[in-house]
Amino acid sequence: MEKEKLRELKKLIASRLTRPMRYYLDTCTRCGLCYDSCHAYYGIPKKEYSPVGRAEVVRRAVKKHFRPSGRLFPYWGDATALDERVMDEMKEAAFSCTGCRRCMMYCPFGIDMPYILGIAKVLLIGYGNAPEELVMLADAAVEKGRSIDEFKEGFRSVIGDMELEVQKRLGLPSADDLIPMEKKNADVLFVGLSGAHSIIHPAVIFNAAKENWTLSFFEAVNFGMFAGDPEKMQFIADRVVNEAKALGVKEVVIVECGTAYRIPKFLLGPLPFKVTSIAEKIHQYLAEGRIRVKEGAIAEPLTYHDPCQLGRNAGVFEEPREILGRLAADYREMSPTREYNWCCGGGGGLVALDNEEFRIKTGKAKKDQIDATGAKIVVSACENCILQLNTIKDGYGLDVEVKSLSELVAENLVV
Amino acid sequence: MWNDIYYFIMVPMVYIAFATFALGILFKFAVVAFSPGIKGKLGAYPRRLPRPLGVAKDAFAVPVAFRKSKVFWFFIVAYHISFALLVIGHLELIDEFAALQIIPHQVFLGAGWVGIVLMVSTLYFLFRRFRYPYNGISIPEDYLILILLFFSLFFGSHMNLASRHLDFMFDVSKMREYLQSLIALRPVLPEDIVSSYHNIMLALHVLFANLFLMLFPFGKMVHSVFAFCTLNLKRK
Repeated sequence: MEKEKLRELKKLIASRLTRPMRYYLDTCTRCGLCYDSCHAYYGIPKKEYSPVGRAEVVRRAVKKHFRPSGRLFPYWGDATALDERVMDEMKEAAFSCTGCRRCMMYCPFGIDMPYILGIAKVLLIGYGNAPEELVMLADAAVEKGRSIDEFKEGFRSVIGDMELEVQKRLGLPSADDLIPMEKKNADVLFVGLSGAHSIIHPAVIFNAAKENWTLSFFEAVNFGMFAGDPEKMQFIADRVVNEAKALGVKEVVIVECGTAYRIPKFLLGPLPFKVTSIAEKIHQYLAEGRIRVKEGAIAEPLTYHDPCQLGRNAGVFEEPREILGRLAADYREMSPTREYNWCCGGGGGLVALDNEEFRIKTGKAKKDQIDATGAKIVVSACENCILQLNTIKDGYGLDVEVKSLSELVAENLVV
Repeated sequence: MWNDIYYFIMVPMVYIAFATFALGILFKFAVVAFSPGIKGKLGAYPRRLPRPLGVAKDAFAVPVAFRKSKVFWFFIVAYHISFALLVIGHLELIDEFAALQIIPHQVFLGAGWVGIVLMVSTLYFLFRRFRYPYNGISIPEDYLILILLFFSLFFGSHMNLASRHLDFMFDVSKMREYLQSLIALRPVLPEDIVSSYHNIMLALHVLFANLFLMLFPFGKMVHSVFAFCTLNLKRK
């Protein structure tokens, strides 16, 4: 590797050596308790897909370039200089990880392996070897943030069509303002995704609950986070933060997208508004009696897949279960469940990459879990999970239907 | 020449080891302290206990290991409890501490079992590393630190057991004289220690302990402190 490039990459590593990163890098004893905790390892049992195996790729490079012991006695610490081979290993490590943090549950020290892989991702960007799809999608989101006014008119016309659908679903006399936009001082700013379904179902629910809400111009998904680019992640997240501040809303409700929820909820620091997931909001409406659903309307056995970013990484475990408990006559829990639930294999932006064969293999743990429940409907509350669950369904020929939580609620509202 | 080597291990090397240990730890802490924090939170759920209690439970009861492997958990807990007793035992080799003699006992604590449990646990950790899949993730440092620890424990334990059961070991007062002189920076190696039957054992014990201490700040042993920080982050 050229000296100049190496210097540049070392600077990138240094930029990520935060206090938590140093704790995580120093604390791992390579006890191996996390070894088989990753869904990727379950599907493809190779050391490279074990959490500790992935983290070691980064740790070895940090040791070599940032530790006196790594420079003086590289053999003892297995310190390895950055080169083309190591960069390939980093890519394999970083972009086979969904960031689900299941391994954290199996680490006696609670080490956040995906956080360590943040170094690998930032290095890959610096090296020009990050997945193009994610980089392009992140760039597109940044561009949209820079020139939002150019997008507004086109977006409004699409929303007009969606309002007609919401009107039809709710049997209302008029479609006017069913999906309000740029509404100052609304109680809720809802942030959807680019797909119409991600807006229509929540819009039906908000209108049924008579919520004072408004729709964001931006999509919630954060490809900057998936690509591992901290600056773009911040910029993309700030688009919504600034919009919420400008509108003076009290609460930002995030669509069914785990990462999009976790970022403003936990990673941006204190914000002047509340951040809620749509699952929590639906639960609140049901608890307050603002909406009603057809109790026990779904007779077929149904199971729930905890999105990792919503469940173990954000603590939203019970709300979706209580909602489904009302809708389903035969609710079946997966095993293991909640914080130990297997990741579906679609997170971390992996569903956006050309890697379907890999995702089918690494979705085996989830396939086995679904099989064991005998459920005919699999519900989740994350777009990435739903896409990946469908890939698993098709890949293994599962006889199940995959649904989103808001879709199921919207379909079974008592209006 | 052997006398010089013996003296080097028992006196200058002990200072070097403690200085390396202390400076290394200080350096490590300083690097961490001056590293930037983050504005977000890296915690995970669920959190069934208040944070300090949860951290203490995770650190001392190691429920993660219990869930995954009961045998590994047993040795982790046995090892760490014994290590704490070992530290207390060494403190009592330096001086009398009334607080540590609430339950009267002979120095060293544990009637010889502490060393045995530590040795067995260390051997378990070491041999576990030779097994698949742990051999694939272990690096030379992992083996080295366990080997140094084992030998230090082996010789230390041997002396402890010999003094208890064979009655031909130097007495505790001579050890205190030696250790207190080291602390006072006026090192003295009492003749009773130098000429004891176990002088070589003691030198080897101290040699391996010195090496272990010198490596401590530069490897994974810092988990003994940083584990509390990472577990705190998990619940923050």
